[in-house]
Amino acid sequence: MKTIARDRNVLTLIGLLVIGVFAAFGVRDVVVLDLLFTLLIYAVLGQSWNWISGYGGNISFGHAIFFGCGAYAAAIATARFGISPWFAFPLGAAVAAVLALAVGYPTFALRGHYFSIATIAVGALVETFVKTQPYLGRANGFELPIANGFAALQFTEKWPYVLLALALFAIAQAATIGLERSRLGYYLRALRANYGAAASVGIDERRWKLIAFAGSAVLASAAGVLYAQYTLFVDPSSTLALPISIDIALVGVVGGIGTVWGPPVGALVYVFLAKAVALKLGGAGKGYDLVIYGALIVAIAAVRPSGIVGAAIEALRRRRAVREAGG
Amino acid sequence: MRRLILTGLAAILAFSTLPSASISAADGPEIKIGSILPLTGSSAQTGAGLKAAQQLAEDLVNGHISYPLPMAGARGLPNLGHAHIKLIFADSQGKPDQAKAAAEQLITQEKVVALIGAYTSSTTATASQVAERYGIPFLNPSSANPKLHLRGFKWFFRTTPHDGIFSENFFAFLADMKKKKNISVKKLAIVYEDGLFGTGSADAEEETAKKFNYEIVAKIPYSANTTEVTAEVQKIKAAKPDVILITSYLPDSLLYMKAFKEQSVDVQAILAQDAGFIDPGFLRTLGKEANFVFTREVFSLDIKQRNKSVPLIDQLFRQRFNNAPLDGNTARDIMGVLVLADAINRAKSTQPDAIRTALQQTDIPGERTLMPWTRIKFDATGQNTFGAGIIEQILDQKYETIWPFAVSVKEPIWPMPAWSKR
Amino acid sequence: MEQTIDVFAQLLVSGLLAGLLFALVAVGLTLVYGVMDVVNFAHGEFLMLAMYAAFGLALLGLQPLVALPLVVIAMFFFGIVVYRLFIRRLLAGPPEATVFGTFGLLVLLQGLAQALFTSDFFSIPNRPFAQTLHFGSVSVGAAAIVEGIGALVLTGALFAFVEYTETGRALRAVSEDRIAATLMGIDVGRMNAVAFGIGAACVGAAGTLLMLSYPVYPRVGADFALTAFVVVALGGFGSVQGALVGALLVGVLEVFGGFYLAPEIKMVPVYLAYLVVVLVRPQGLLGRR
Repeated sequence: MKTIARDRNVLTLIGLLVIGVFAAFGVRDVVVLDLLFTLLIYAVLGQSWNWISGYGGNISFGHAIFFGCGAYAAAIATARFGISPWFAFPLGAAVAAVLALAVGYPTFALRGHYFSIATIAVGALVETFVKTQPYLGRANGFELPIANGFAALQFTEKWPYVLLALALFAIAQAATIGLERSRLGYYLRALRANYGAAASVGIDERRWKLIAFAGSAVLASAAGVLYAQYTLFVDPSSTLALPISIDIALVGVVGGIGTVWGPPVGALVYVFLAKAVALKLGGAGKGYDLVIYGALIVAIAAVRPSGIVGAAIEALRRRRAVREAGG
Repeated sequence: MRRLILTGLAAILAFSTLPSASISAADGPEIKIGSILPLTGSSAQTGAGLKAAQQLAEDLVNGHISYPLPMAGARGLPNLGHAHIKLIFADSQGKPDQAKAAAEQLITQEKVVALIGAYTSSTTATASQVAERYGIPFLNPSSANPKLHLRGFKWFFRTTPHDGIFSENFFAFLADMKKKKNISVKKLAIVYEDGLFGTGSADAEEETAKKFNYEIVAKIPYSANTTEVTAEVQKIKAAKPDVILITSYLPDSLLYMKAFKEQSVDVQAILAQDAGFIDPGFLRTLGKEANFVFTREVFSLDIKQRNKSVPLIDQLFRQRFNNAPLDGNTARDIMGVLVLADAINRAKSTQPDAIRTALQQTDIPGERTLMPWTRIKFDATGQNTFGAGIIEQILDQKYETIWPFAVSVKEPIWPMPAWSKR
Repeated sequence: MEQTIDVFAQLLVSGLLAGLLFALVAVGLTLVYGVMDVVNFAHGEFLMLAMYAAFGLALLGLQPLVALPLVVIAMFFFGIVVYRLFIRRLLAGPPEATVFGTFGLLVLLQGLAQALFTSDFFSIPNRPFAQTLHFGSVSVGAAAIVEGIGALVLTGALFAFVEYTETGRALRAVSEDRIAATLMGIDVGRMNAVAFGIGAACVGAAGTLLMLSYPVYPRVGADFALTAFVVVALGGFGSVQGALVGALLVGVLEVFGGFYLAPEIKMVPVYLAYLVVVLVRPQGLLGRR
């Protein structure tokens, strides 16, 4: 394994962070900053999903519940208890981690699509639960009180939000790079490659997947806190509903499952199509942006099913193999 | 790999600096107003109608044909050199975060002088927050949530009555019916879709019902995505209510009406909170089975006696939008644009503060609007307190205004005939 | 007391009929999985297309029961085309390719429907079977009975096809052991196409019958499909009988849950039942392995 300083992934990350910081300070256009923020949040969400569904191999359609943990933690902290939303990070993370363990423990025994449907079931149960609890706002949700300043995690300008999102993105990417190089990553890869063989060597599937799942939940929850502080409105349909989980999964998969840069690329595609195009074409109201997004996913799936990044990696490997063969 | 991502980022930055599709080549002095609507997503059907309505209003203001409406035929804004107003539309997709982004784009890139929108209460909430932050007037013509004007905002103005007011209308109607026809109603069942719209409506109904000492024998939330309502209807039937208060979208309203008929749920009346029940698809699908249902409405073509512009605008709207008649949503959105244009004109300026002051001084008599309201005049919180709903009953497969009695065109039929006898 | 029994009876009948409706939608989905290991996440959108087709034919004067064979045949060929152009490529890729490929199809089809047909709701004018039938204290709509019969006929026909016809046997062979089936001379690719076509044809029948009771709009597929996925998983992916049993169970649970618990949480017993069943039997009620 290359040293950290030489690892291509780390260098790319540092490069992107530099660009990101420049963008946050340099770009004045509010719309671009908003797209950047959304891009980073979805990159983090897609990456967190990637841990369990990509590296772990258990495709989840219920990941929004962890995002919701963070969002609701922030909403309740500020709107109901009047405390600083910074507390929502550890609180949301704790709830998300516990939820992940509770959900993962029984369901990791399920194979393939049975697991996926189970995540849908859990997601629906969580959403129904929130909708019936008055202290969780029911369907009305929460409007977060307007405040200002670092302590309140609310700003009139956009660049602080982009910087915070960038920081979270950096953490997510660094953690994923670390995951790939770690024992956990090694075990997950082994389990995915050949479950039977890995189990016979004594790799405890459940234990390692639970760790990955909890980690991914914490990451998603952090994204939720930032989202809540940015949008200032949290309700079940914008944070917990099935379409949100599906958006997260699509981000992860379009870019390339099980790769470090898959989710960020997927987020780029998603933001570009679902948000940017919608803003430009949206006035027509005909759903053209959906058609384009759908067609793109279909095209990628048909031509390069391993996702954009997966395909790129394959291409790179082929080139290297050709080179090494002296061709 | 690096290259791929860098190119992607560059593309995004480049793309967003492209001018929007809406900038016109031949520009006179134009006053830009931003409009945020759900043009895709689950409210897309309504959104499309609202857009057509707002565009109609834009043409009315910029045109030269006079109607008994504020600013209609003014050929632009007279106090600003007849500058034309121009609506710039943005799609909220029905999502609060997208509405927020749309508001920001309209304010910072398009430099609109005011915002109008956004139909669903959750998108209005976030979009108006942005307006509040930037100090841009936000006019809300059609969101129902009772809390929107209570946020202490300075820049938020709502012309439409909200669910709290509509709820009071129901009970005022019941009280009037008691006086006039001596009906006896004690027990209510409240049925509602468990999203933002239904919950807001049901909460308001419950609160008002308790105020007037009615007994709520069933409160039944359900998911609007459901494909059957057997249990819900059995519960309603078991509770034996005198009147059912129901808040539903179209697919679920159809499910309920079918189930009420099949299960012979006989009550004195079904009182609906528009939405699905006033959708053209409701009557089209149910035909005579829709008869006798009461629905709160925001608007009716029947008010044409007092509001002379109604039939004329209805005609104009039909020509633009698939021969669909003017309805509560489209009429309110037309008025919203006119009210904004009127305020900007009176402000004699495009400065936000001036427009805001002009809005606060708005006072339009009901007859000079498309709505059955007494006036349009905002209180200190930005809410028009002079609006109210009307109640219609479907009789002979037509929506007839039956309340307030002063504007009614037909006698209401009460109670509803039993299902087996129809 | 009598009233409680009446209510119970009504709930049971309505629950079973609702379940049969879910079976109608779910049955096409499970076959495809059994043969190809593919869950077609665009299944709901296929349903939507079938409903639009049935609506279109109704406008031409063909009532649903008459239009049924036309829609079924059209959907069969549609399924084959989709398989040849798209699904086949997904099968060549990693396992998650079919997941996100069919999701892309879902988004694309919904977008197309919105672009072409707008978000308007369309119902068949003068629907047949609109009467209510009474059996003692239990009342049911005639349309629901027709749909229920349709579901039973469809499930039975599919089951018979798979069990007793040669093509059906070939399909079963492929689903049990693809490599062995190839060695036996079965053209797996062709079987895949046939299975996908049949799955689409089933959903074509479902959509046509649904037009007896429901309006069509771009998102109509999503609500039915979600329950269909749960039903298929509950019954066991690949099992036609499982889909029927799972569907009936879901229908009854949903209705009973709505009445005896609360309407707002009526799907909770359904999801809990699914979780409990698969945790005890990871292959679903009647699934293989």
